[in-house]
Formats: sequence, C-alpha cells, structure tokens
Amino acid sequence: MVGDKTILLVEDNPADEALTLRALKKSGLASKVIVARDGAEALHHLFGAEAGEACRKLPDLILLDLKLPKLGGHEVLKRNRADVRTQVIPVVILTTSREDEDRLEGYRVGANSYVRKPVDFHEFSEAVLQLGLYWLVLNEQPPQSRV
Amino acid sequence: MTLPVLIVDDSMTVRMSLNDLLEDAGLEAVVCSTVAEARLALAETTFALVILDVLLPDGDGVDLLREIRAMPHAAATAVMMLSTESEVRDRIRGLTTGADEYVGKPYDPTYLIGRAHELVRSGAGRTSPEKETLLLIDDSVTFREELKEALEQAGYGVFVAGSGEEGLRLAADVRPSGIVVDGVLPGIDGATFIRRIRLDAALRGAPCFLLTGTEDKSAELSALEAGADAFAVKEDNIGIVIARIGAMLRSAGHQPVREATASSLGPKRVLAVDDSETYLQQLAASLDAEGYEVVLARSGEEALELLAVQQVECVLLDLVMPGIDGRETCRRLKLVPTLRDIPVVMLTAVDDRETMIQSLGAGADDYIAKSSEFDLVRARVMAQIRRKQIEDEHRTIREQLLRAEFEAQKARTALEVAETRAALAEELQLKNEELESFSYSVAHDLRAPLRSIDGFSLALLEDCGDNLDDDGRKYLHYVRDSAQHMARLIDDLLALSRVTRGELNRGETHLSSLAGSVFSRLQRATPDRKVDVVVADGIVADCDDRLLTIVLENLIGNAWKFTGKRHDARIEVGVMDDDQRTYFVRDNGAGFDMAYASKLFGVFQRLHSATDFEGTGIGLVTVQRIIRRHGGRIWAQGQVGQGAVFYFTLENGSPGGIPSRTQEAISGQCISRDAAA
Repeated sequence: MVGDKTILLVEDNPADEALTLRALKKSGLASKVIVARDGAEALHHLFGAEAGEACRKLPDLILLDLKLPKLGGHEVLKRNRADVRTQVIPVVILTTSREDEDRLEGYRVGANSYVRKPVDFHEFSEAVLQLGLYWLVLNEQPPQSRV
Repeated sequence: MTLPVLIVDDSMTVRMSLNDLLEDAGLEAVVCSTVAEARLALAETTFALVILDVLLPDGDGVDLLREIRAMPHAAATAVMMLSTESEVRDRIRGLTTGADEYVGKPYDPTYLIGRAHELVRSGAGRTSPEKETLLLIDDSVTFREELKEALEQAGYGVFVAGSGEEGLRLAADVRPSGIVVDGVLPGIDGATFIRRIRLDAALRGAPCFLLTGTEDKSAELSALEAGADAFAVKEDNIGIVIARIGAMLRSAGHQPVREATASSLGPKRVLAVDDSETYLQQLAASLDAEGYEVVLARSGEEALELLAVQQVECVLLDLVMPGIDGRETCRRLKLVPTLRDIPVVMLTAVDDRETMIQSLGAGADDYIAKSSEFDLVRARVMAQIRRKQIEDEHRTIREQLLRAEFEAQKARTALEVAETRAALAEELQLKNEELESFSYSVAHDLRAPLRSIDGFSLALLEDCGDNLDDDGRKYLHYVRDSAQHMARLIDDLLALSRVTRGELNRGETHLSSLAGSVFSRLQRATPDRKVDVVVADGIVADCDDRLLTIVLENLIGNAWKFTGKRHDARIEVGVMDDDQRTYFVRDNGAGFDMAYASKLFGVFQRLHSATDFEGTGIGLVTVQRIIRRHGGRIWAQGQVGQGAVFYFTLENGSPGGIPSRTQEAISGQCISRDAAA
C-alpha cells in the first residue's frame, strides 16, 4: 500500500504547512511527511551534512514551494537534479505563483509537475489528494538508486 | 561620367582655343559655328555646359538660350554666354533668359576654364540633387498650378500658398530651400513678403525669387530693395522662369565654392555707370588695359537691373545722372543684403566737400573727381577690390568658423538628446521591472494569507462545527466566500495588468475555433447547462491570438453567466458583413439598462448584484484594453431581460477597414458596458 511512502514537504509558511499536512492527512496517503522550512534545510535533509547519513531513506515525492528563505525552490531542484542519488525523485512544484517565468524555469530545471495552490481549501485538498494518488500510487516509481 | 561641353562661336580662333583649353582640363567638347548646327547637336546630346556666343551668323545666342531653357532634357545644362558686347542690356538679357554666367571677350582663359569646371560640377550635382523644396506663392490658381507642375518636373518639391500670409505660415513650417513669390498679391504684397522673410532669422538665408506681371521696372526695383535675389516676368516662357529659379538656387548653394576658386583667379568685373558715353568708353579702355572686365551701364536703373542678375567686384557710379542719380542708386544698392558688400566708388565732376559728404552719406565707399587721371581711378578701384577681397576672405573664414561651431553644437545637442533618451529608456526599463516585481508580489504574497483564511475557516467548520450555532457556521461561510472572491479579484487584476505588457503579436487567427474552445471549456465546467451555441464558420482576423482568447473568454463567459437563469439560453458569435468587419457576441440573457451603458468598461463597475451574478468587474476593462491595443473599439447594446450584444473591431486586422481617425470619431457616440468576469 501507500502507507510506507515518505513525502518531503518544502514550505516556509507555517499556515500553508499546516493546511498541506491537514490535506495529506485527510487523503490518508502518506504515513510519513518530513517538513523542511527553507531551501538549505531541504538540501540538508536530502544529502545530509554528516557522514553516514547517505543511507537514510530518501523521500518518494518532494512537494516544493518556490519562494523560500535562504535558497529558492528552483535552486533546490537544480541541485537535486544534479546529484545522481536524488535525480530520479519525482518533484512537484506546489506554489502560489503562476507567472510564466516561474513555470518555465521550474520545468527547465526538471520539475515533474507544477501545481498552483488554490485558495479554496476544498480545491486545495482535492489537488493534494490527486497529486498523492498519481505520484505515489498510479505512477511507477523509478527503481531504488543503486548508487 | 561627365557630359560633354558644347561650344557655339562663329570665330574659328575662339572655337579652337576653347576646345584645346577644355580638353586640357579633361572635358570633352563639341564645337559648332552656327545656331543651326548647335540646334542639331542639342537635339542629339545632353550637355553639361554650353558656351554660347551672343552674335552668331544665323541668329542670336540669347534666342538659342531661350530654346535650350525650354528643352526638357536640357534642364540641368548650364549655359555660359560669351560676348564682345560689354553692354549692360545684353548682359541683362542673357542672364534673365537663364544664362548661368556671362563673360566678356576678350576672356581670361584660366578664369573661363575654372568657371566651366564649376558649372559642369554644379550641373552634375543637379542631375542627382537632394530634392530641393520651393515655396510658391501666387494668388492665381492657374499660374500657380502650371508653374508647380513645371517645377516638379524639374525635380523640385513644391509647396504652394495663395496669399502672403499663408506663405509666411507655410515658410515657417516647411523651411523651403527657396521662395518664389508673386509681386502682386491680395493682403501683403511680394516685396513686403520678402522683407518679412529677411527679418526671420530662420528663413533669411532662403533665396527669394520675385515674379512680376509686367516689364514694370519699379516693381523689380522695389523687390530688389526688399532683398529679392532674382526675379522674372510672368509672361516669359515658363522654361526660362524655371532655369532662372535654378540659377538662383545654384548660386545660393554654391557661393562658397565660387568665392574660393574661379572668382579669385579671374579678371575683376567692374560695373561702370555713367550717362556720358565718351567718359564710359575712356574709362573702359583704361581699365580693360589693366585686365579688368568692364560692364557699362547708362543709368542707375540699368545698373541695379544688372546687379540683380550678376555679381561684380566694384561699382563706379556717376553722381549726376538723369533718372535716379548716383546717390539714390548707391542708397538702393546698399539696401540689398547680397549687394551691400560691393564697393561703390562715386565719380563726380564737381570736387567739393559737400558732394563728397553726401556721396559717402549715401553709402559710397570712396569718392573720386572725374577730372582725375585714369591712373588714379584705376588705383582707387584696385584698392577697393583688394579691400573687398580681404573682407570676403575674412567673411569666409568667419563663416567657416561659425559653421564649424554650429556643427559642433549640433553634434553636442545630438549627443545630449541620445543620452537623455538612453537615460529615459533605462528609467522606463527600471519602472517596468519594478512593476513586474510588484505584480509578482501581489500574486504570490496576497494569495497566501487568503489560502490560510479559507483553509482554517474550513478546518474550524469541520473540526469544531458542532460547537457553533447556525449563525456561527454562516459567518464562517461568509469569511470563506470573501477570501475566494478576493482571490479572483487578484487574479483578474493581474490578468488586466498583463494585457498591457509585452509585445502585440499579430497573426492570422481563427476566431471561430478560439470561440469553439471557449464554449467547450465552459460546458465542461458546468455540464448541467444547456445553451444553444451558434458560432459562424471561418471567422479569421489579424490579431494576437493569446489576447483574443482572453477577449472571447470574457465576452462568451459573460454571455454564459448572464444566460444562466434561462432555459432557452442562446449565444451567438459572428461577424457583420459590413465594410469594417464588426465582430459580435450576442446573448439572450439578463441584458442591461442602456442608461448605464457608459459604465460598462470601468474598473470594478458592475451592473448586476453579486447575489444575482458573481463577478469582479474587471473582465470588460481587460477586454477593452486588448481591443484598443489592436487599434479597434468595442461597444454594446442591451435591454433588461432581453439580452446583450457586444461588438468589436480589430482595425488593422479588418480587411478594407476604415482609417482609425474615422473610427475615433464614431467611438465618440459609442457605448460601453461592464459586466463581470
């Protein structure tokens, strides 16, 4: 089932974090959600600053906001795609911006999806549910990295 | 390639000598000894220059000149008259008939060749001229049109005016390279007109050409006084008039070249004016011997007439003459800007102090008693010419300095303008970037709190709804509705700001299929709606498809919304088959009151209550901006309960569309509507 899947949520706004967690909880899709509150924290989680942490289980899906303190979402994604360990993890940009440039840059640096957060919470919950269903259930995951 | 020079002279010696001189100077020459031969040569070949003797065995050189001036293919041909006649009458006749130069025999070969070169050069320049513009002022429409046509054929740009007043206005606007004005005009006359032009700093350099109705000398004199550079009698052959205008513009344009070359090499031309034939002949003989070219005039009138058509280096003027006397001639001469620098030496029989003072008072530069030896006269003339030459040189240097200063100033100004423009462009770019980042912030930062308001209101409803009474739950619903409405407002305002940014990418756009997609999307979003949709086939327009999609989304979206309460909803998209291609979206929905039609296209203007039809009131403003960016216009008709029609044009994209000025005029009465989107 999906219960053992891990999601990394990169979100700096506590309210949005709470809403996303609430939506994920309602969907019942993921058992584990890790939250990173800025770009640096996200990278730290993915690559680990200390030795020996490389074997830690990597997330099955990353939900990435674009406007983040310290390191922006695009930069996080770019580094993600540059590393052989993390380059295959599905990344969904989940953000408020719908500017052409943000979308274009997002796909250019390797986003798998780009979703704009709806204001209506019903719609938002629906969007999170659809995303989870698609990326964690329907979509065939890449084989676990052998590196 | 240089065109050949035609030599027409009955003297074999002159022909051969000129031929050799021209060939040595690298010019090809054709020689003729009679008018008949010359006619044949002129019919076959286009010449750069014709050197023409006045007295020919089978005719008159001036008559041949008149024929040349009437030949269309010889419009650029320069003519130099060569004559043993030193008589003023012949000179005037030759020059007024359109000769570019008049040289007396015996000629100075160096000077003659120098001048021939100049004339060939200026003629060559004339064949591919920068288009010179002339302002033509005449109250007779017939004459004006005839002359205008002839001038245009000769390659000039022509502006016309029917009165002096109109001419002055036009002159200030178009800054012509030359002015041709009729002497007799209603309102201010030709002479006054020229005087006004001479007072205008921007125009005083423009050569002025006066047209007179008759051979009336007084009109010409007053024109000369007013500062006309040349004149012609209207009854003359129009070809002659045009040739003279050409000569005037040439001499205005090539003055510095002439001063710098031939005239400084050539014999000094002296005009001697005396009513005594004997004295004139003696004077001429004495000066001829010194290498001066002497032109003889019998009266002040004749002298002024000649000076209007030919420059001289010095004027010897008898004080006592019938008609206008020496003093008056001198006074008039000194009034003309182009003549006032010519030194005037007054000759008088009486040698008293009084006369001397009077002469100098009239503007004469020197004064000499007739009883004096001719040696003395010669010395005085030489001194005056030397003085004038030095002044000319100084003036040339001054002018060059001024011109250089002017050019430098112009370059500085151009640089300043360029710098200012660059600074403005940079500032504009900064502002645009600021606006972009502002819009971005609005989009991103205003939406986030709204999501929290909505999300947590819902969380509150779901988690603690049981603890709230009906009012409490209702309030939370209001909170959520408001948050969602504000989100839509933000989106619509952003869309509005986006349509005015970026390039307008016109291209062939299939409006019918765009409309079809909009209807499909609306149907998918509200599957329960049943709307009778009619879209005309094959509507194609030259417009920006991205922006027109927004237009159709709004107009059709409105129609869809406002027909929401009807069971027989019908929406039609089409184009009216009129001469300006008017596109329309028609519905049979709620409609609107025409009394409020003017409020349709205002930001946040809504004609319906939010409870009836929701909306932000920004959609139609966006639509109007897009239509305006295309150069089109939009208007609406409606009736409460009966429906609404929105019409728009896309101007440039409309085949056979009417010019935008007319469109503006119509849109004065056009109506606008809002709606909501």
